[in-house]
Amino acid sequence: MTSVLDLTVNGRARQDLVEDSALLLDYLRDVAGLTGTKQGCDGGECGACTVLVDDRPRLACSTLAHQVAGRRVETIEGQAKRGRMSRLQTAFHERLGTQCGYCTPGMIMAAEGLLRRDPAPSPEAIREALSGNLCRCTGYVKIIESVQAAATEEAAP
Amino acid sequence: MTVLPPKGGIGVPTPLVDGIEKVTGRARYTADLRPADALAGAILRSPVSHGILRGVDTTAAEALPGVLAVVTGADCAVPFGVLPIARNEYPLARDRVRYRGEPIAAVAAVDDRTAAQALALIRADIAPLPAVFESAKARGPKAPLLHDDKPGNIEREVHQSFGDVEAGFAAAALVREGTFTFAEVNHVHLEPNATLAEYDPERDRLTLHTTTQVPYYVHLTVAQCLEVDTARIRVVKPFLGGGFGARTEALGFEVIAALLARKAGGTVFLPLSREDTFLTHRGRPQADITLKLGLTADGRLTACAATCVQRGGAYAGYGIITILYAGALLHGLYDIPAVTYDGWRVYTNLPPCGAMRGHGTVDMRAAFEALLDEMAADLGLDPFAVRRVNLLTAPATTLMGQKVLSNGLAECLDWVERASGWHKRRGSLPPGRGLGMACSHYVSGTSKPKHWTGEPHAVINLKLDFDGAITILTGASDIGQGSSTVVAQVVGEVLGCDPGRLRVISSDSAVTPKDNGSYSSRVTFMVGNATIQAAESLKAILVEAAARRLDAAPDQIECLGETFRVAGIQDTGLSFGDVVREALIDTGTITVKGTFTCPVEFQGDKAIRGSAIGASMGFSYAAQVAECSVDPVTGRVTVHKLWVAADVGRAINPLAVEGQIQGAAWMGVGQALSEETNWRDGRGIATNLLDYRVPTTADSPEIEVHIVESLDPNGPFGAKEASEGPLAGSIAAIMNAVHDATGVRARALPLSPERVFELFAPNGA
Amino acid sequence: MTSMPRFRLHRPTSTADALAALADAPGSRPLAGGTALLVNIRYGLEAPPALVDLSAIPGLDGITVDEDTGALVLGASVTLARLAADPLVLDGWPVLARAAACVAGPTHREAATVAGNLCQDTRCVFVNQSEWWRAANGFCMKAGGETCHVVPKSDRCHAAYAGDLAPALLVLGASVEVLDGHGSRRHPLLDLFRADGRAHLALAPGALVTAVIVPPMHGAVAGYAKVRVRESIDFPLAGVAGLVRRDGDRMADVRIALTGVASAPVPVPGLDGLIGQPWAELAAANVSEAVGKVCIPLRTTAASPRYRRAVAMGSAVRLLGDLWSEAGSEESPV
Repeated sequence: MTSVLDLTVNGRARQDLVEDSALLLDYLRDVAGLTGTKQGCDGGECGACTVLVDDRPRLACSTLAHQVAGRRVETIEGQAKRGRMSRLQTAFHERLGTQCGYCTPGMIMAAEGLLRRDPAPSPEAIREALSGNLCRCTGYVKIIESVQAAATEEAAP
Repeated sequence: MTVLPPKGGIGVPTPLVDGIEKVTGRARYTADLRPADALAGAILRSPVSHGILRGVDTTAAEALPGVLAVVTGADCAVPFGVLPIARNEYPLARDRVRYRGEPIAAVAAVDDRTAAQALALIRADIAPLPAVFESAKARGPKAPLLHDDKPGNIEREVHQSFGDVEAGFAAAALVREGTFTFAEVNHVHLEPNATLAEYDPERDRLTLHTTTQVPYYVHLTVAQCLEVDTARIRVVKPFLGGGFGARTEALGFEVIAALLARKAGGTVFLPLSREDTFLTHRGRPQADITLKLGLTADGRLTACAATCVQRGGAYAGYGIITILYAGALLHGLYDIPAVTYDGWRVYTNLPPCGAMRGHGTVDMRAAFEALLDEMAADLGLDPFAVRRVNLLTAPATTLMGQKVLSNGLAECLDWVERASGWHKRRGSLPPGRGLGMACSHYVSGTSKPKHWTGEPHAVINLKLDFDGAITILTGASDIGQGSSTVVAQVVGEVLGCDPGRLRVISSDSAVTPKDNGSYSSRVTFMVGNATIQAAESLKAILVEAAARRLDAAPDQIECLGETFRVAGIQDTGLSFGDVVREALIDTGTITVKGTFTCPVEFQGDKAIRGSAIGASMGFSYAAQVAECSVDPVTGRVTVHKLWVAADVGRAINPLAVEGQIQGAAWMGVGQALSEETNWRDGRGIATNLLDYRVPTTADSPEIEVHIVESLDPNGPFGAKEASEGPLAGSIAAIMNAVHDATGVRARALPLSPERVFELFAPNGA
Repeated sequence: MTSMPRFRLHRPTSTADALAALADAPGSRPLAGGTALLVNIRYGLEAPPALVDLSAIPGLDGITVDEDTGALVLGASVTLARLAADPLVLDGWPVLARAAACVAGPTHREAATVAGNLCQDTRCVFVNQSEWWRAANGFCMKAGGETCHVVPKSDRCHAAYAGDLAPALLVLGASVEVLDGHGSRRHPLLDLFRADGRAHLALAPGALVTAVIVPPMHGAVAGYAKVRVRESIDFPLAGVAGLVRRDGDRMADVRIALTGVASAPVPVPGLDGLIGQPWAELAAANVSEAVGKVCIPLRTTAASPRYRRAVAMGSAVRLLGDLWSEAGSEESPV
């Protein structure tokens, strides 16, 4: 069974014929061609597939594509505007919040979700908000510093 | 791969040259390269742990519409293995299966569903044999043999003795023996394994994009197993989602993908699930360690006797090296007059183990540092004082022949002691909270390559062309550690040019020079040195060209950034572009090469058997303090903070070095607290990221890092390794902090809540 | 590309349509956040012909207080992230916010719902594995086989219930609103469950939990202690919810409920003797004993049953001690 899926992906309206049982992750990667969203586990335990749905983080591997019909989906590819990186992307790059980079898209999207609801989070709030996103390279230290730096830049006049 | 330039030269914190791709989602990993029309590959795995594989009936699968290829052990009769002396694994089982999860057959089909259906139609006829899952049982007289040529299931025994150990113990004021058990752990690189194999039947050529740290070994292995000329193969390593040693050998799935592509006559994408990736394993083996140390009353080590039994799994892999490493790095950290080591690598019916960060050395080092802590306490000595009296003073040659030319451990100790407030805070923390410390070290690259070819240990090419851009061609695999950034920094430093001229292209056998790969922390040291040589050659060419244009001798030319002029003359000089144009006259595009070979005196002492393992040109050192608390009700250990000081020789990129040290120390936290693979009767019950418990942000400590620069005489700009040495120390520091917090000594890891709870209330008392 | 079995997806916009869609194809399942159900489908643990997504039904996501009774009414589709942060909940029923915040990881909680968490399937180390793993091990009775690998001689499945909200709701005396073809009825929460790992919900096929009703706390304090290896993502090895109502230096009400240790959440009986007593060593011993009597975990997790039982007992004692102090400090004038 397939049906038409209407939604917005990174600000662009899309209409695709999508199988009912397709996961949002597979839709984004295979139909929309947005391979920035990663798969790292078999059951929603790693967070690498985190995207934003109406500004809130969501695991694309544990969501059906049709569940987000009519909603605004954002992926890592939509974060840079006219080639300019978002504050989080810049901070993750400059402060080495990324090493191998595989958790990075999910990590940045989870952090973006946090900053949209809490523009000046405490280190504890950052740890809490990212506690479903596994990273194997950094020990999280520079990830947390990156989010703090991005938030500070945001909060600065 | 196009990469952006770094911002600075040596010693300047520099974002990764390929970082922008990573944070924008543009970085393409193997699974991201899957063409829409690629065939879907899938692997059928053995449901039993040990058995005679009497036959595999693929008739029905082959008949299923949409199936293009089915391969079994019959399709590949060449065994593989990273060590030429120990190749005993087939990509697809032949005649025997030796662990549950071992590949038996594989299919390529038009889509994933068809591939899954085809797997379900394959009938494997397996006559089960008794299986053995523990080292002790595998060594027993009645144990079933995994490999007929390995009696007692012993893959390798190691017996080494240096100095008079008995005399050392006799001279000691305190002798203690401890027995330790370390659970098996897995790398959990976040990107699951995958290979994209493209076969062109018209040209008989095969291209692989694969998740590897060692594209060169994959190249060789695939050529061997497919029995084709290496010239017909191209291996590309795209962006790689971590490795930590899991991918330092060619793995069966890479050969399987190639077999499928060739048989199907097309392109096959073979993704492994997380469970498949766990079943491919290659992690740090479960280890049983006994350690006996002698100390004088003032804490000097008089002797060390160690044994280690590693549960290696079903095939050889890196096993021989791993068991040698456990003994080899008993040396090189402290000055010990006598050391014996006895090691046994044991075959068991479990997924094969391999190399993992700190290869072979970690569990032994953790045990050593924990026992030393215990003995220091009994002698009434401060743990720092005990380390200090045993420091190795560089230059030194260890009993095993290792040459230590730089050692900043004393400074590391000073810093962590001060930064953690050790003397003021230890003993005055609230109940259930404590401090522990430990040291560790590691090699900067293994000096003797596994495959002896007579070639240099590292080769790098630089290409300078009409556009004034310099392309750095390196086979070094950037696996996230930042090797591409290091080579760009080194070239920029030597040439003094605008980093905007530099691009790095890495890890494509059709384009880049061969590199042995990213393992044993060899890349910065070896490739870094080769890069210096290449950049100096290029600089000499440019200086000569400038001299020609300026009618001067080359030694009169000075370079100020991108300006070349005659020294002492107030002239505007030549721009970089002018010099390049001059240099290209008559020659055209310039390519230069740099190479590096570890001198033979650093490749181990021929008189000492096994001393090639653990032989290195430089040793990194680390000291750390952990602050932990223990929940008295649940037994849960929380690591609040780690202070880590590491002697990395010279931090070429302090940003990346800090990140590597944090990552290594943190990986030790996971091994110390929660990680274990947990094969129950051969069944993986933690082959997922829920039950294999990688620490989350909520479980991870603050980590404060201090970089010590001892300037190693052999390292590029003095640099040594940074990313493996600090791992073992954090395990031991946590074990020691848990003792400080609770008074109980852990002898088994991980210190999961349940295990600590058992220490509080043994047998439910 | 993830190999998902094919199924139909319905996205009804009313509960009536949802019931109709569920009735349409036997075996169809309601879909809430999907964080558990979709993973189970991926693992081949179930293959429903259709899923009925409840997220497009208006009116199922309210957090309100009934003005007459003072009870909290939680719509089935309220997400755990909202529940954990809602001011009404934090003010009047903070234990629910706490329990919700303990579930899985933060991104799971953005999707996971109150009813989804209550109804989530039981879990077992022999069950929550891939199809290949379960086939190689011999399918168990929960998915395609005959025996229970936890208790091989048992005639029922012993997979453990692992929801974190249920014990907290149980000590609060919550009830659930269940809608089926015959209309809507309210049941005590405990009646939703039964001790069978294969069929742990006493819900007729095609019925829906539409709301959870939580009576006011009336001065009681409640808490939830979740024992797990990691502070995020993990399911409970044991979870203990407790409630204490304090009357001066005596306890006026004491309740405890457990999760993660049996196929259904477990209310702990035998605490009546504590009423009228102060919190003291003897009371602690009674709590420990009462919990120990009904907390009999089996080998459904990698952690041992012995540890899970002991730590449930210890956690209950600590939790009640903490609640006793908290109740005391709330009572005393500031």
